[in-house]
Amino acid sequence: MSDSVQAQRRAEIEAKKAKLAELRAARLGRQKSPATPPPVASVSRRDVDDLINSLVGSSSRGNGIDSGDLTPSSSMPGTPALGQPTSLPGPSGLNTSGSGRASRQSDFASDRGSLGTTLVHSTSGTDHVIDRVMTPRSVPDLVDVTQELFELPQRERVVYNKEVQTMTTEPESPQVYEDEIRQRVLAERDVEAERLAREKELDEESVQLDKEIEEEIRELSEDELAGIYSAPEFLQFVEHSSKIVQRALNDNYDIVRDYTIGTETGGEDSEGRVKRVCEFSDDRYVKNRSITAVDWSPKFPELSVAAYNKNPAAVNEPDGIVAVWNLHLLQEPEFVFHSQSDVLSVTFSPFHSNLVFGGTYSGQILLWDTRSKHVPVLKTPLSAAGHTHPVYSMQMVGTQNAHNLITSSTDGMVCSWLVDMLAQPQETLELVHAGHSKTSEVAITTLDFPANETTTFWVGTEEGNVYQAHRYDRAGAKAGLNQYDVYKGHSGPVMGLHFHPLSGPVDFSDLFLSCSVDWTVKLWRAKSLAKPSTTPQTIAPIYSFDEADDYVYDVKWHPEHPALFGMVDGSGKFDLWNLNTDTEVPVVSTPVGSGRAINKLAWDRKEGRRAALGGSDGRLYIYDIGDMAVPRDNEWNDLQKTVSSVLGGAQSNGTL
Amino acid sequence: MTPELEQTLTLLSSHRSFLGYILMSRGHPYSIIRHSGAIFEGEHGRKYARAVGKIVESVQGSLEELGGDGNDGDDVRFLRIRTKKHELMISPDDKYLLAVLHDPSTA
Repeated sequence: MSDSVQAQRRAEIEAKKAKLAELRAARLGRQKSPATPPPVASVSRRDVDDLINSLVGSSSRGNGIDSGDLTPSSSMPGTPALGQPTSLPGPSGLNTSGSGRASRQSDFASDRGSLGTTLVHSTSGTDHVIDRVMTPRSVPDLVDVTQELFELPQRERVVYNKEVQTMTTEPESPQVYEDEIRQRVLAERDVEAERLAREKELDEESVQLDKEIEEEIRELSEDELAGIYSAPEFLQFVEHSSKIVQRALNDNYDIVRDYTIGTETGGEDSEGRVKRVCEFSDDRYVKNRSITAVDWSPKFPELSVAAYNKNPAAVNEPDGIVAVWNLHLLQEPEFVFHSQSDVLSVTFSPFHSNLVFGGTYSGQILLWDTRSKHVPVLKTPLSAAGHTHPVYSMQMVGTQNAHNLITSSTDGMVCSWLVDMLAQPQETLELVHAGHSKTSEVAITTLDFPANETTTFWVGTEEGNVYQAHRYDRAGAKAGLNQYDVYKGHSGPVMGLHFHPLSGPVDFSDLFLSCSVDWTVKLWRAKSLAKPSTTPQTIAPIYSFDEADDYVYDVKWHPEHPALFGMVDGSGKFDLWNLNTDTEVPVVSTPVGSGRAINKLAWDRKEGRRAALGGSDGRLYIYDIGDMAVPRDNEWNDLQKTVSSVLGGAQSNGTL
Repeated sequence: MTPELEQTLTLLSSHRSFLGYILMSRGHPYSIIRHSGAIFEGEHGRKYARAVGKIVESVQGSLEELGGDGNDGDDVRFLRIRTKKHELMISPDDKYLLAVLHDPSTA
């Protein structure tokens, strides 16, 4: 019985050893893979192996000794009387059928063992005494000593009584034996416990071995370090994993925060409803550059993209940079793209979250893929087929299955591209203004399509006028610039043009805003497409916002709130206007950054809670406008009233 | 040590709540490639490294057990261990491991 236990133990250890070896082999394999730095001095591994062997070896030797000591059956076969009790099937059957307690089982074992040793000891080889010893064993009194023994002696009695019958049983005091046996039992128990403890130790030792292998921390030599540092995969790993960790660091949320602990409220949180979320800047990539364009990812609300012009101090760096920033990673851009020329306009593809388009000063249109490296995956040739002048404006129009990228350059060229074929434009359209008093060239600075419109668009120009243009011939209007309608109001180059986004019960899609270096933002109503003009006429703005004290660089309607729009100017202010609240002054005016000009503004595409502001100081600021982004139900009707009232004002002004 | 690498690690260290990092090679045995921060200096740093190694191996081992015999076992990508005082973030790959310790209460 105890033999089998022992064997089991040994098997376990054997298995453990095998596992260890396997583990080591696996590690060895990992080390052998080619790119791994050559570290792992084989000597040290051998040391560990030796250590394992010595530990495992010695312990198994010790185990053998133990089993010799502790297995009474092996020392017993000489005595015939003993063979029987040990081979008795009864107790083991009882063990399994009896209570499932493990401790009980061990009790049985030790008890039986004790019986055996008792015999050997006291008999010292004389048969006669053996018999005498045997007899008291059969005394039923023993049964009272331990309950577990109850069945055991009964069986024995059946066997022995026959042989021993002739002997006269001397009623020697059973007490003595009983005491002796009890002592033996106790002693044996101790030994047994010790054996168990030692086996446990053994197990622990092998586990410990395992641990030691894990725990061993090796010092690397200079050569090994150099090898690791120069491995490209190591660089890649550091790049990648530090990004992950930084995202987690920027999380700024302590997941075990205890809200029952009060902290002082108020302070900066309560001041102003427009809060700065973060600012993106990076000394490595975008130092000494200004932001020329910004956009938000249509797929991932935490990603925004900014385009940068050249860094005059660094001639070896690419002129144009485009950086994709992640709200969860403040210290460095998620992706950086290069361009040989300043990038002036940038847009995420609304239909492919991996693609970013850029328009450059040289006139090239570039396409970058976030799955690829820094360089563009596609670019247009520098030829007369496409743009040869700076591309300040681009927009994607159409649907998932049929979309075009529309780009415009300052020589009046408007191109339409298929996004997967930038070798040549699908269509080109040259805007010319034949009736203009000075030049026929239309220098496009900005362009926008009304909501749900893909063929007719409006352009802002350097001279300050806004024009309507068609991509194709259409009911009474030829493709190209509509020369009859002149939206005249700005006295300087138009920097931004934005149509009202279609997002509510009332359609305001004919309203658009424009901003200019003449310090004003103007609200216009576009002429209906259904009634094309046939004679030249001038269209005046329906309202002018004259609050700014500097060039107004960009203006954008809010994507959700119909009466809300934001503008940024040359003094670094971010003004938020709500036409339903006030048409004279902005509802909130926020100084941004260092006071240097803010070039571009973009609302996030989902709820419009966040605005990305691209500064000429090269920083991309993200602001949160909070609940102001949420429109009330009557906002649309209110805006309708506001518009009609300013319309009335404009008309009365016109008559004056 | 390339300047880019240096810069990346400096950037990482510049975070407000940052306490230190250890870069380790997941060879046999684990070895420290580089560390920073007072908490990872000397013997204490090695202890940390051992602990990190043990944690990663044990988690990876458990994942492999869960994956069963088939080769569809999972891999550890990122471990975040919040303790009373600190937070330990471990980002392992096949050959290397980056562990960063920070104090979220200062973030």
